[in-house]
Amino acid sequence: MIGLWYEDHEIGQTASLGAHRFTREAILEFARKFDPQPFHLDEEAAAKSIFGGLCASGWHTVSVSMRLLVDGRHAQRKALAKDGETPPPLGLGRGVRDLRWSAPVRPGDVIAFSLRVESLRETRRPDWGLIGMRIVGVNQDGREVCAYMLMGMAARRPA
Amino acid sequence: MDLLYFEDFPADEVVEYGDRTVTAEEIVEFAREFDPQPFHLDEAAARESVAAGLIASGWHSAALMMRMNCDGFFLHAASQGSPGIEQIDWLRPVRPGDRLSVRRTTLSARTSRSRPEIGVVEARFELLNQNREVVMRLQGPLFIRRRANGETQR
Repeated sequence: MIGLWYEDHEIGQTASLGAHRFTREAILEFARKFDPQPFHLDEEAAAKSIFGGLCASGWHTVSVSMRLLVDGRHAQRKALAKDGETPPPLGLGRGVRDLRWSAPVRPGDVIAFSLRVESLRETRRPDWGLIGMRIVGVNQDGREVCAYMLMGMAARRPA
Repeated sequence: MDLLYFEDFPADEVVEYGDRTVTAEEIVEFAREFDPQPFHLDEAAARESVAAGLIASGWHSAALMMRMNCDGFFLHAASQGSPGIEQIDWLRPVRPGDRLSVRRTTLSARTSRSRPEIGVVEARFELLNQNREVVMRLQGPLFIRRRANGETQR
Protein backbone atom coordinates (compact mmCIF):
# COMPACT_ATOMS: atom_id res chain seq x y z
CA MET A 1 0.00 0.00 0.00
CA ILE A 2 1.30 3.47 -0.87
CA GLY A 3 1.13 6.04 1.95
CA LEU A 4 -0.88 9.23 1.65
CA TRP A 5 1.81 11.87 2.24
CA TYR A 6 3.94 13.16 -0.61
CA GLU A 7 7.04 11.68 1.06
CA ASP A 8 5.48 8.21 1.10
CA HIS A 9 5.66 8.03 -2.69
CA GLU A 10 8.49 6.57 -4.76
CA ILE A 11 8.69 6.30 -8.51
CA GLY A 12 7.78 2.80 -9.62
CA GLN A 13 5.42 1.97 -6.75
CA THR A 14 2.28 0.23 -7.92
CA ALA A 15 -1.11 -0.43 -6.37
CA SER A 16 -4.33 -2.11 -7.38
CA LEU A 17 -7.42 0.11 -7.21
CA GLY A 18 -9.93 -2.73 -7.46
CA ALA A 19 -12.44 -3.53 -10.18
CA HIS A 20 -15.82 -2.27 -11.30
CA ARG A 21 -18.57 -3.89 -13.34
CA PHE A 22 -20.16 -1.59 -15.93
CA THR A 23 -23.87 -2.33 -16.19
CA ARG A 24 -25.97 -1.43 -19.22
CA GLU A 25 -28.12 0.80 -17.00
CA ALA A 26 -25.14 2.78 -15.69
CA ILE A 27 -23.68 3.14 -19.19
CA LEU A 28 -26.99 4.50 -20.49
CA GLU A 29 -27.52 6.80 -17.50
CA PHE A 30 -24.08 8.39 -17.82
CA ALA A 31 -24.53 8.78 -21.59
CA ARG A 32 -27.95 10.40 -21.24
CA LYS A 33 -26.51 13.01 -18.88
CA PHE A 34 -23.13 13.72 -20.39
CA ASP A 35 -22.38 11.97 -23.67
CA PRO A 36 -25.55 11.25 -25.68
CA GLN A 37 -23.79 9.93 -28.79
CA PRO A 38 -25.70 7.04 -30.41
CA PHE A 39 -23.00 4.42 -29.72
CA HIS A 40 -23.39 5.08 -25.96
CA LEU A 41 -27.20 5.17 -25.96
CA ASP A 42 -28.78 3.00 -28.59
CA GLU A 43 -27.93 -0.66 -29.26
CA GLU A 44 -29.09 -0.61 -32.87
CA ALA A 45 -27.30 2.59 -33.82
CA ALA A 46 -24.21 1.37 -31.92
CA ALA A 47 -24.16 -1.88 -33.94
CA LYS A 48 -23.82 0.18 -37.11
CA SER A 49 -21.16 2.50 -35.65
CA ILE A 50 -17.36 2.17 -35.66
CA PHE A 51 -17.65 0.51 -32.22
CA GLY A 52 -19.86 -2.32 -33.52
CA GLY A 53 -22.05 -2.26 -30.39
CA LEU A 54 -22.99 -0.31 -27.29
CA CYS A 55 -20.04 0.94 -25.24
CA ALA A 56 -19.49 3.23 -22.25
CA SER A 57 -18.54 6.86 -22.67
CA GLY A 58 -14.80 7.21 -22.15
CA TRP A 59 -15.61 9.86 -19.54
CA HIS A 60 -17.66 7.29 -17.65
CA THR A 61 -14.70 4.89 -17.61
CA VAL A 62 -12.25 7.46 -16.24
CA SER A 63 -14.80 8.75 -13.70
CA VAL A 64 -15.14 5.20 -12.33
CA SER A 65 -11.35 4.96 -12.00
CA MET A 66 -11.46 8.12 -9.88
CA ARG A 67 -14.13 6.59 -7.65
CA LEU A 68 -11.94 3.55 -6.99
CA LEU A 69 -8.91 5.74 -6.28
CA VAL A 70 -10.90 7.88 -3.82
CA ASP A 71 -12.43 4.83 -2.10
CA GLY A 72 -8.99 3.30 -1.54
CA ARG A 73 -7.61 6.48 -0.07
CA HIS A 74 -10.67 6.95 2.09
CA ALA A 75 -10.12 3.50 3.62
CA GLN A 76 -6.47 4.41 4.30
CA ARG A 77 -7.49 7.69 5.96
CA LYS A 78 -9.94 5.88 8.19
CA ALA A 79 -7.26 3.37 9.18
CA LEU A 80 -4.83 6.19 10.03
CA ALA A 81 -7.47 7.98 12.11
CA LYS A 82 -8.21 4.73 13.95
CA ASP A 83 -4.52 4.50 14.89
CA GLY A 84 -4.74 8.02 16.31
CA GLU A 85 -2.83 9.63 13.42
CA THR A 86 -4.07 12.72 11.58
CA PRO A 87 -4.43 11.96 7.87
CA PRO A 88 -2.90 14.52 5.49
CA PRO A 89 -5.09 17.28 4.06
CA LEU A 90 -6.58 16.27 0.71
CA GLY A 91 -4.99 17.79 -2.37
CA LEU A 92 -6.60 18.78 -5.66
CA GLY A 93 -6.03 17.28 -9.08
CA ARG A 94 -4.10 19.56 -11.46
CA GLY A 95 -4.71 17.73 -14.70
CA VAL A 96 -4.22 14.72 -16.94
CA ARG A 97 -1.64 13.77 -19.56
CA ASP A 98 -1.82 11.20 -22.38
CA LEU A 99 -5.33 9.92 -21.82
CA ARG A 100 -6.16 7.16 -24.26
CA TRP A 101 -9.20 4.99 -24.68
CA SER A 102 -7.65 1.86 -26.15
CA ALA A 103 -10.68 -0.43 -26.41
CA PRO A 104 -14.43 -0.09 -25.84
CA VAL A 105 -16.01 -0.91 -22.46
CA ARG A 106 -19.13 -3.05 -23.06
CA PRO A 107 -22.13 -3.70 -20.81
CA GLY A 108 -21.15 -6.35 -18.27
CA ASP A 109 -17.41 -5.75 -18.60
CA VAL A 110 -15.43 -5.83 -15.36
CA ILE A 111 -12.59 -3.33 -15.48
CA ALA A 112 -9.68 -3.63 -13.03
CA PHE A 113 -7.72 -0.43 -12.44
CA SER A 114 -4.17 -0.03 -11.20
CA LEU A 115 -1.81 2.86 -10.59
CA ARG A 116 1.93 3.38 -10.83
CA VAL A 117 3.82 6.36 -9.45
CA GLU A 118 5.59 7.96 -12.42
CA SER A 119 6.80 11.38 -11.31
CA LEU A 120 7.38 13.38 -8.13
CA ARG A 121 7.99 17.10 -8.02
CA GLU A 122 8.26 19.64 -5.28
CA THR A 123 6.31 22.82 -5.89
CA ARG A 124 6.72 26.47 -4.98
CA ARG A 125 4.41 25.82 -2.05
CA PRO A 126 6.40 24.13 0.72
CA ASP A 127 3.39 22.18 1.99
CA TRP A 128 2.44 20.49 -1.32
CA GLY A 129 4.12 18.19 -3.83
CA LEU A 130 2.94 17.19 -7.32
CA ILE A 131 2.61 13.47 -8.07
CA GLY A 132 2.14 11.93 -11.50
CA MET A 133 0.31 8.60 -11.35
CA ARG A 134 -0.29 6.39 -14.35
CA ILE A 135 -3.72 4.81 -14.11
CA VAL A 136 -4.58 1.85 -16.33
CA GLY A 137 -7.88 0.01 -16.74
CA VAL A 138 -7.90 -3.58 -18.03
CA ASN A 139 -10.96 -5.67 -18.90
CA GLN A 140 -11.76 -9.26 -17.93
CA ASP A 141 -9.84 -10.52 -20.99
CA GLY A 142 -6.69 -8.69 -19.94
CA ARG A 143 -7.08 -6.02 -22.60
CA GLU A 144 -6.27 -2.41 -21.75
CA VAL A 145 -9.34 -0.16 -22.16
CA CYS A 146 -7.96 3.13 -20.88
CA ALA A 147 -4.78 4.67 -19.52
CA TYR A 148 -3.79 8.12 -18.37
CA MET A 149 -1.42 10.04 -16.15
CA LEU A 150 -3.16 11.88 -13.31
CA MET A 151 -1.29 14.88 -11.92
CA GLY A 152 -2.34 15.54 -8.34
CA MET A 153 -1.21 17.53 -5.34
CA ALA A 154 -0.23 15.66 -2.20
CA ALA A 155 0.44 17.22 1.19
CA ARG A 156 4.01 17.14 2.48
CA ARG A 157 4.64 15.60 5.86
CA PRO A 158 5.29 18.31 8.43
CA ALA A 159 8.93 18.33 9.54
CA MET B 1 -29.22 20.45 -39.68
CA ASP B 2 -26.75 19.23 -42.32
CA LEU B 3 -24.12 16.83 -41.09
CA LEU B 4 -20.75 18.46 -40.50
CA TYR B 5 -17.73 16.85 -42.13
CA PHE B 6 -13.97 17.22 -41.70
CA GLU B 7 -14.01 20.00 -44.28
CA ASP B 8 -16.23 22.05 -41.95
CA PHE B 9 -13.45 22.26 -39.33
CA PRO B 10 -10.83 24.55 -40.89
CA ALA B 11 -7.54 25.27 -39.12
CA ASP B 12 -7.50 28.36 -36.87
CA GLU B 13 -11.29 28.47 -36.53
CA VAL B 14 -12.51 29.57 -33.09
CA VAL B 15 -16.13 28.91 -32.11
CA GLU B 16 -18.09 29.24 -28.87
CA TYR B 17 -21.17 27.38 -27.74
CA GLY B 18 -22.95 26.04 -24.68
CA ASP B 19 -24.58 27.66 -21.68
CA ARG B 20 -24.77 25.56 -18.55
CA THR B 21 -25.28 26.87 -15.03
CA VAL B 22 -23.93 24.39 -12.49
CA THR B 23 -25.94 23.76 -9.32
CA ALA B 24 -24.67 22.60 -5.92
CA GLU B 25 -27.05 19.63 -6.19
CA GLU B 26 -25.51 18.31 -9.40
CA ILE B 27 -21.96 18.87 -8.10
CA VAL B 28 -22.81 16.72 -5.06
CA GLU B 29 -24.69 14.15 -7.15
CA PHE B 30 -21.73 13.60 -9.48
CA ALA B 31 -19.31 13.48 -6.53
CA ARG B 32 -21.37 10.89 -4.65
CA GLU B 33 -21.12 8.58 -7.61
CA PHE B 34 -17.60 9.23 -8.89
CA ASP B 35 -15.47 11.46 -6.67
CA PRO B 36 -16.68 11.46 -3.05
CA GLN B 37 -14.11 13.81 -1.54
CA PRO B 38 -15.28 16.35 1.07
CA PHE B 39 -14.62 19.43 -1.11
CA HIS B 40 -17.02 18.02 -3.75
CA LEU B 41 -19.66 16.79 -1.29
CA ASP B 42 -20.28 19.15 1.56
CA GLU B 43 -20.12 22.93 1.77
CA ALA B 44 -19.05 23.06 5.43
CA ALA B 45 -16.30 20.46 5.01
CA ALA B 46 -15.21 22.12 1.75
CA ARG B 47 -14.74 25.47 3.52
CA GLU B 48 -12.18 23.82 5.82
CA SER B 49 -10.31 22.31 2.85
CA VAL B 50 -7.76 23.58 0.34
CA ALA B 51 -10.70 24.32 -1.99
CA ALA B 52 -12.15 26.91 0.45
CA GLY B 53 -15.72 26.03 -0.52
CA LEU B 54 -17.65 23.50 -2.58
CA ILE B 55 -16.10 22.82 -6.02
CA ALA B 56 -17.05 20.46 -8.84
CA SER B 57 -14.95 17.35 -9.45
CA GLY B 58 -12.59 17.95 -12.35
CA TRP B 59 -14.13 14.88 -14.00
CA HIS B 60 -17.53 16.50 -13.64
CA SER B 61 -16.21 19.58 -15.44
CA ALA B 62 -14.89 17.30 -18.19
CA ALA B 63 -18.26 15.52 -18.43
CA LEU B 64 -20.13 18.85 -18.60
CA MET B 65 -17.81 20.00 -21.38
CA MET B 66 -18.46 16.73 -23.23
CA ARG B 67 -22.18 17.37 -23.00
CA MET B 68 -21.77 20.86 -24.42
CA ASN B 69 -19.52 19.44 -27.16
CA CYS B 70 -22.20 16.86 -28.01
CA ASP B 71 -24.95 19.47 -28.19
CA GLY B 72 -22.60 21.99 -29.83
CA PHE B 73 -21.35 19.81 -32.70
CA PHE B 74 -20.61 16.10 -32.05
CA LEU B 75 -24.24 15.04 -32.47
CA HIS B 76 -24.44 16.63 -35.91
CA ALA B 77 -20.94 15.84 -37.13
CA ALA B 78 -19.66 12.76 -38.97
CA SER B 79 -17.65 12.01 -35.83
CA GLN B 80 -15.58 8.84 -35.68
CA GLY B 81 -14.61 9.25 -32.04
CA SER B 82 -11.33 10.23 -30.47
CA PRO B 83 -8.38 8.01 -29.62
CA GLY B 84 -7.73 10.05 -26.50
CA ILE B 85 -6.84 13.39 -25.01
CA GLU B 86 -3.28 14.68 -24.88
CA GLN B 87 -3.76 17.02 -21.99
CA ILE B 88 -6.35 18.25 -19.48
CA ASP B 89 -5.59 21.13 -17.13
CA TRP B 90 -7.87 22.04 -14.25
CA LEU B 91 -6.96 25.69 -13.92
CA ARG B 92 -9.64 27.20 -11.68
CA PRO B 93 -12.39 25.79 -9.48
CA VAL B 94 -15.96 25.39 -10.77
CA ARG B 95 -18.38 26.47 -8.04
CA PRO B 96 -22.16 26.29 -7.59
CA GLY B 97 -23.89 28.94 -9.71
CA ASP B 98 -21.04 29.19 -12.24
CA ARG B 99 -22.27 29.61 -15.81
CA LEU B 100 -20.12 27.59 -18.21
CA SER B 101 -19.55 27.65 -21.95
CA VAL B 102 -17.00 26.18 -24.36
CA ARG B 103 -14.50 27.81 -26.74
CA ARG B 104 -13.13 25.45 -29.37
CA THR B 105 -10.03 26.27 -31.40
CA THR B 106 -8.97 24.14 -34.34
CA LEU B 107 -5.18 23.99 -34.10
CA SER B 108 -4.68 21.92 -37.25
CA ALA B 109 -6.63 19.78 -39.68
CA ARG B 110 -5.14 17.01 -41.82
CA THR B 111 -6.15 13.89 -43.66
CA SER B 112 -5.36 10.58 -41.99
CA ARG B 113 -2.48 8.82 -43.76
CA SER B 114 -3.72 5.33 -42.93
CA ARG B 115 -7.43 6.06 -43.46
CA PRO B 116 -7.83 8.64 -46.24
CA GLU B 117 -11.62 8.81 -45.70
CA ILE B 118 -10.96 10.28 -42.24
CA GLY B 119 -9.73 13.72 -41.24
CA VAL B 120 -7.84 14.41 -38.02
CA VAL B 121 -8.79 17.68 -36.33
CA GLU B 122 -6.43 18.71 -33.54
CA ALA B 123 -8.59 20.81 -31.24
CA ARG B 124 -8.22 22.78 -28.05
CA PHE B 125 -11.29 23.12 -25.85
CA GLU B 126 -11.51 25.73 -23.12
CA LEU B 127 -14.24 25.70 -20.50
CA LEU B 128 -15.11 29.30 -19.65
CA ASN B 129 -16.99 30.65 -16.65
CA GLN B 130 -19.24 33.72 -16.45
CA ASN B 131 -16.16 35.94 -15.95
CA ARG B 132 -14.60 34.60 -19.18
CA GLU B 133 -11.92 32.85 -17.13
CA VAL B 134 -10.64 29.52 -18.48
CA VAL B 135 -11.45 26.99 -15.77
CA MET B 136 -10.38 23.88 -17.72
CA ARG B 137 -8.37 23.35 -20.88
CA LEU B 138 -8.32 20.17 -22.90
CA GLN B 139 -6.46 19.27 -26.07
CA GLY B 140 -6.63 16.29 -28.36
CA PRO B 141 -7.40 14.92 -31.83
CA LEU B 142 -10.89 14.29 -33.24
CA PHE B 143 -11.55 11.85 -36.06
CA ILE B 144 -14.15 13.20 -38.49
CA ARG B 145 -15.21 11.65 -41.79
CA ARG B 146 -14.38 13.55 -44.96
CA ARG B 147 -17.01 14.42 -47.54
CA ALA B 148 -17.14 11.68 -50.15
CA ASN B 149 -16.11 14.00 -52.97
CA GLY B 150 -13.90 16.18 -50.82
CA GLU B 151 -15.81 19.36 -51.65
CA THR B 152 -16.69 21.95 -49.02
CA GLN B 153 -20.21 23.23 -48.67
CA ARG B 154 -19.33 26.52 -47.04
